Amino acid sequence: MLSHIVEELPQLVVNGLVVGTILALPAIGFTAIYAVLRFPNFTVASHATMGAYAGFVANVWLGLPIVPSLALAFLIPALSGLLCDEVVLKPLRRSSAATGPMAAAIAAVALTIALENVIRFVFGNDLRGYDLPVYRDWRFDLGFAFLRIGPQQVENAAISLAVMTAVFLFLAFTRTGKMMRAVADNPTLASIKGINAETVARLASLIGMGLVGVGGMLLGLDTSIDPLTGFRAVLTVFAAAVVGGLGSIPGAVVGAIAVGIGEELSLLVLDASYRTAVGFVAILVVLTFRPRGILGERAY
Amino acid sequence: MTPRLSRRTLATGLALSPLLAPAVVRAQGEPIRLGTLTPLTGAGGPYGPSMRKAMEGVIEAVNGAGGIGGRRIQLYGEDTQTNPDAAVRAARKLIDVDRVSAIMGTWASAVTTAVAPLCWESRTMLFTVSGADSITQLPHRGFIIRTQPNSTLQITKLAAFLGERGAKRIFILAAQTPFALPNKEILDREMPKYGGQVLGQVIYDREKTVFRSEVDQALRARPDFIFLNGYTPDVTILLRELFRAGWTGGKVAPAYAVNQRLLDSLPAEVTNGTVTWAPSPDVESPAFKRLQALLGTNDPDPYSCQTNDHASLAALAIAKAGASTGDAIRETVRKISQGQGQPVTDVVEGLRLIAAGREINYNGASGLCDFTETGDILTCPFRYEQAEGAKLKTLRIS
Repeated sequence: MLSHIVEELPQLVVNGLVVGTILALPAIGFTAIYAVLRFPNFTVASHATMGAYAGFVANVWLGLPIVPSLALAFLIPALSGLLCDEVVLKPLRRSSAATGPMAAAIAAVALTIALENVIRFVFGNDLRGYDLPVYRDWRFDLGFAFLRIGPQQVENAAISLAVMTAVFLFLAFTRTGKMMRAVADNPTLASIKGINAETVARLASLIGMGLVGVGGMLLGLDTSIDPLTGFRAVLTVFAAAVVGGLGSIPGAVVGAIAVGIGEELSLLVLDASYRTAVGFVAILVVLTFRPRGILGERAY
Repeated sequence: MTPRLSRRTLATGLALSPLLAPAVVRAQGEPIRLGTLTPLTGAGGPYGPSMRKAMEGVIEAVNGAGGIGGRRIQLYGEDTQTNPDAAVRAARKLIDVDRVSAIMGTWASAVTTAVAPLCWESRTMLFTVSGADSITQLPHRGFIIRTQPNSTLQITKLAAFLGERGAKRIFILAAQTPFALPNKEILDREMPKYGGQVLGQVIYDREKTVFRSEVDQALRARPDFIFLNGYTPDVTILLRELFRAGWTGGKVAPAYAVNQRLLDSLPAEVTNGTVTWAPSPDVESPAFKRLQALLGTNDPDPYSCQTNDHASLAALAIAKAGASTGDAIRETVRKISQGQGQPVTDVVEGLRLIAAGREINYNGASGLCDFTETGDILTCPFRYEQAEGAKLKTLRIS
C-alpha cells in the first residue's frame, strides 16, 4: 500500500500543480472582481468559454500563434465583462444597498447562460481543437517512480505564471494597481483620497474577465473546446477562490493550487468519480476552521 | 316568402361546414399532440437537431397526406441539454402544458432514466434511443419502447469483436453513467469466452477537464486494449492523454463518442487505430434511403434513423387504435411493428393500408422495429469502424 502511494505521489502532485496553475488565472479574475465590486460575478463560466473561443478564432481562423491568440482571449472577454457589468449588473447592484449584490449575482447566473447560448449560436455545439501539434510526454525515472510531464502542460503553466507575475507587478508597482487595492481594502477611505471608484470598478471588470478568458483558453489548449468548456471548470474556480479567501489575489493562487493538488491526491483513496466533491469538502473544511479562507480577505 | 337565414341555422351551418372541406383542410381540426425531446445542446448536441428533423419529416408527410383520421399532428419540441435536470423540466412542460401523448427521441441513459417515471405516471408513451439495460427494467408498465439495442446486446457484440482482434487484457475508462457498471459486468462475463479478461475500470467524472491521473491508473494495469466508454467531449481528452502518455495499444470506443467531429478536432496521429462499434441502421431499407434525401446526407446517424421510426411508429399506432392517447399507442404499437401484416417502410403507405382495414408490419430506417414485451428491440445489425487519417473506415457491417 505504502509503495503504491510513494509510486503515485510525485505524478499526482505534478498533475495537481499544473491544473492548479491554470485554474489560478480565472480564480484571480473572479476574486479581483469580488474584492472591488463586492459581489460574486458568476459570468466567469461563459467568459472562460468566450476566451477559449476568441483564442480559437485567432489561432485557427486567423492563423496566429498561441501568444498573440492569448491577447485576443484576454481582450474579448475583458470587453464583454465590462459591457455586461455596465449594462446589466451595475444598475442591479445599485438598486438597493441590502439586496443589490444578491440581485446582481442572480442576474449574473442568468447572463452566463445567455452568453453561453450566444457562443453556441455563433460556433455551434461541435468540439473544436486548436491548431497545435500533440507531443508525447517527457518521461523521468525518479528511481522509485516514473514521472511524465507534457510539453504543452509546461508551456501552459509557464504562460499562466507569466500572466500572474504581470498581475502582481501591476498591482504592486503601478498607480492604477495601487488604486485598485485601495478601493478593495476600504472604498470609503479611497474615495476620500480622491480615487474614482467608478473607474476602478470598470478596470476590475475589464482585467478580471480578461484573466478569466486567458484561463479559459489555457484550459482549451490542453483539451478541446465546446460551449461548456467554462462550465466544467467553474466549480473548481469558485472552490479555489473561496478556499484561498474570497477577495484575496494571492489567496486565489494558493486556493487553486490547493484544490488542484487536493483533487489529484484524492485519487489515492477515492474513486475518480468523486473528484469534484473534493473542492466542496475543501470549502467546508477551510470555512469551518478559517471562515475568511486560507489567506483571509486582504486584496493583496 | 323569402327564405331567411336564422341565427340558429347559420350557427349550425358554420359548425358543420368543416365536414364539407377536403381532407387536408379538415386535418386542421383538433390536432394530435406529440413531443420531441432531443439533445439539442450538451454532449448529444451533434445529434439532436438531426434527430428532430428526422421526426419532423415524418409528421410533415403525414399532415401532407391529410393527417390521421382527418386530424393534423402537432409536434412540440424541447431540448434535454443532455442533462437530466433540464430534461425533466422539458418533459414536464411537454406533458403538463402541451399535453402530448408521446415523447420521442430521448438520448443518453441518465436523461431517459430521469424522464421515464414522469411518462409512465402520466400515461405518456416514451420512445427512446438510450441503451442502458436498466431502462426497460424500470416499472414502466409498457410505456417505454426503445429502438437502440440494450447494453447486453451491445457489449456482447463488443466482446466478440475484441476477441477477434486478439484483445486479452482490457481496461475500461468509463464516464459516470447508468451503463458504466452493467457494461463492465457484461464484459467481465463475455471476455473469457474469447480468452480475454477485464483488468479493471476507472469511472471518471465527465465534467472534469483533465484526466491525466485516470489515464495513469489505466496504464498501471498494463492492458493491451483500453475501452473508452464515454461521450465525445471526455473521450477527446482521453485519446489525447493516451497519446501523450505514449500509449500504442488498442483503443475502442462507442461510435457515438468517436465520431467525425471528434476526428476533426484532434490530430490524426492521436486517433489513428481507434476502433468503434455501433448499432447500424438498415442501409438497404427504402426508409433509410428516404431519410438520406430528407436529411441531405448519405450517412444519417443511427439516432436520426431511430427517431424517424419513433414518429412513424407513433403515427401508425394512433391510426391503428383510432385514438391518440398514450394508452392507445402502448396497446397498439406492437400490432403495427411486428407480426404477419403486410411489410411497409413508409408511414403514409402504412396509414393508407390501416385505413383500408389491412394489418401491417412496419420496418424502418433503423431496422425491423420488432419489440419484446419489456420494450427492447429484438435484434439489429452492427457496424464496426476504424479511424485512419481522421476518417472512419468501415471494417464490416454484420
